[in-house]
Amino acid sequence: MILETKELNYYYQDGESRRFVLKDTNVSFDKGKFYTILGQSGSGKTTLLSLLSAMDTPHNGEVVFDGKNILEIGHDNYRRNKVGIIFQSYNLIPTFTAVENVLVSMSITENELPDDHKTVAYNLLDYIGISQDKANRTVNKLSGGEQQRVAIARALSTNVELILADEPTGNLDEGMEQEIIDIFKKLAHEHNKCVIMVTHSNDIAMQSEQTFYLKKGVLNTNE
Amino acid sequence: MNFLKRGLLSITRRKGKSLILLAVLFILGNVIAGAISISQATANVEESIKDKLGTAATVELDYEELESMDESEMMNFEIQNLDEELINQIGELPYVKYYDYNTTTYLASEEIDSYNGMEEEDGEYIEQGMGMEFQLKGVNYAPVLDIEEGKSNLVEGRVFTEEEIENGTPVAIISKKLAEKNNIQVGDTLSLMNQIYEFSESGEEEITDSRDVPLEVVGIFEPQTVNTDSENQEQADFMDMELQNTIYVANEIVSQEIKYSVGDQAEYEDYFIPAFVLNKPEDAEAFEEEVTPLLPELFIVRHATDSYESIAAPIESMSTLSKYVLIVSIITTILIIGLVVLLFLRDRKHELGIYLSLGESRIRVIGQIVTEVLIVSIIGMTLSLFTGNLLAQTVSDSMIDNDNNNQREEQMYYSEMQTDLTTDDVLEAYEVNLTGEFILLFYAVGIITILLSTLIPLIYIIRLNPKKIMM
Ligand SMILES: Nc1ncnc2c1ncn2[C@@H]1O[C@H](COP(=O)(O)OP(=O)(O)O)[C@@H](O)[C@H]1O
Ligand SMILES: [Mg+2]
Repeated sequence: MILETKELNYYYQDGESRRFVLKDTNVSFDKGKFYTILGQSGSGKTTLLSLLSAMDTPHNGEVVFDGKNILEIGHDNYRRNKVGIIFQSYNLIPTFTAVENVLVSMSITENELPDDHKTVAYNLLDYIGISQDKANRTVNKLSGGEQQRVAIARALSTNVELILADEPTGNLDEGMEQEIIDIFKKLAHEHNKCVIMVTHSNDIAMQSEQTFYLKKGVLNTNE
Repeated sequence: MNFLKRGLLSITRRKGKSLILLAVLFILGNVIAGAISISQATANVEESIKDKLGTAATVELDYEELESMDESEMMNFEIQNLDEELINQIGELPYVKYYDYNTTTYLASEEIDSYNGMEEEDGEYIEQGMGMEFQLKGVNYAPVLDIEEGKSNLVEGRVFTEEEIENGTPVAIISKKLAEKNNIQVGDTLSLMNQIYEFSESGEEEITDSRDVPLEVVGIFEPQTVNTDSENQEQADFMDMELQNTIYVANEIVSQEIKYSVGDQAEYEDYFIPAFVLNKPEDAEAFEEEVTPLLPELFIVRHATDSYESIAAPIESMSTLSKYVLIVSIITTILIIGLVVLLFLRDRKHELGIYLSLGESRIRVIGQIVTEVLIVSIIGMTLSLFTGNLLAQTVSDSMIDNDNNNQREEQMYYSEMQTDLTTDDVLEAYEVNLTGEFILLFYAVGIITILLSTLIPLIYIIRLNPKKIMM
């Protein structure tokens, strides 16, 4: 078990009342597996992911990584060294090239990396399907699918074991979508990473080892 | 790809915005550089002119105060004399390097001719008979203050000895021009004449009595004249003549001659004009504070540097103006650069959110932004360093011209401390230069201003919420 939540609660203040997005959520994840979290739009998938990725803090309960509350690890530290996040809207720095975007995260992490960051970044991009020629382009000159690959390469570049992805294929066509899913599967099965992907697509969910269904603030293993 | 490299990369990748920032900084930099240039140039003038004016001080009657009295007050007011004891007491204060006090009289001579300045050369000078043309200036300070202070140079012979001063030995120091005119060498004796006049009933003056005053010349001095403008040439010539015909002797000799000429008619009391040379210009205030309570009524301390304000009015007004411009332009820069950077940062919100989501500390994100702004600022400042300095030269030249055309206020009262330096000397000393000191000051002020201006955007970065931006 690499990641688990304990009695996780998150709400939005709605005037006097609290509107709970997550209620007493308990869930755990292992390395080497590809997970999906399925739910309708507005069900709280992004909220859950923001808590798992320490982009936000729960009102109650805790997120535990490797047996340690991530508050104890420190949110910045956790994001820097423990987790790779992939967003629906890629979130790349538009004025930088693909390889520069990867180099940014490599310079921020404190994890042990090979000295030659550039070579590592190019190799990683190549592995994900971005040629050197494309790697040297500023990212706004890449297609959506290519940009998301760069984002995946960036998430992997810091050598983390936990990958969180929030509807990463939401803006891509089906062919591209499948290629990205295949990368995730490979990361889980061949590289022993824990990959947690949020989606609203049943087809994608069916390709994962385990799917959690999010509905009315409650996370279930069956629909 | 640490945050410094990221900053550099950001500057080159956003050329348009970097150039806008550079342009704004260049314009504001010019104003700041100009203001600093002028304020430094004025400070330099003040320093050099005050240096020239020296650390001399005197104690004298406050003529302006006296003038402002009404008649009855004036009638009842008895002007007291400064006695030697008080002068010595003041002179012994620790602020005083050396001091002197002088009493002066005018004598005639049958034997030698006075120096008559330039007029002499064209031969039109008409001998006016035997007047009291020689200023006998008594001194108490044996090395002679005027020589010690560099107003005159001793070109031959020696100064007085303590004994000569004390005993009133009949020895004198005369000017080179006077010596040349009368072919007098050191060691020669010249003879002056003290005459007592009386007015006859017909109104003609009549010499009733006279006596010779023989003096041995022990030294020859040459006055160090200050260049004066042609406007005041006449006055300058007159002052020069007076100086050339000055004969330094011991106070005691002057005192004796005055007593002789006054006769038994009145009880004569020596009238001394003191001169104190202070150790340092900074001592002036403390000296004045300590001396003022000791003085008789209506006497005040005057410093040689007091005249700075009256002769340096155009510079002073420029100095004040430049300080205001500097303050206003710094505040403007802080606001404008702060807002421009904030505007650009709003555009880059996404990028900043990405750094934070990747776990970068806010301090480093701030560091990157400050680095970017500083790099562009230093380029902009370096460019405006030269143009701002040039601008200052042009602006101050035209301001001086303007000011110079306005009528200058004439000083109404003669003071012992009056200087022969004029406003023109001050303006001539004014110079806007590209000095190392200026460059350092400009960068220091500029960088501090820029750092202050980044405070506004920093608050923005601190408040950024990456989740809201990205998820
Ligand atoms: N800042 C917010 N203030 C109030 N309600 C919010 C805010 N952000 C999201 N929500 C609400 O919380 C719920 C969960 O949102 P989200 O986690 O984004 O769902 P999903 O990712 O599954 O579409 C939605 O009903 C959404 O409207
Ligand atoms: Mg969502």
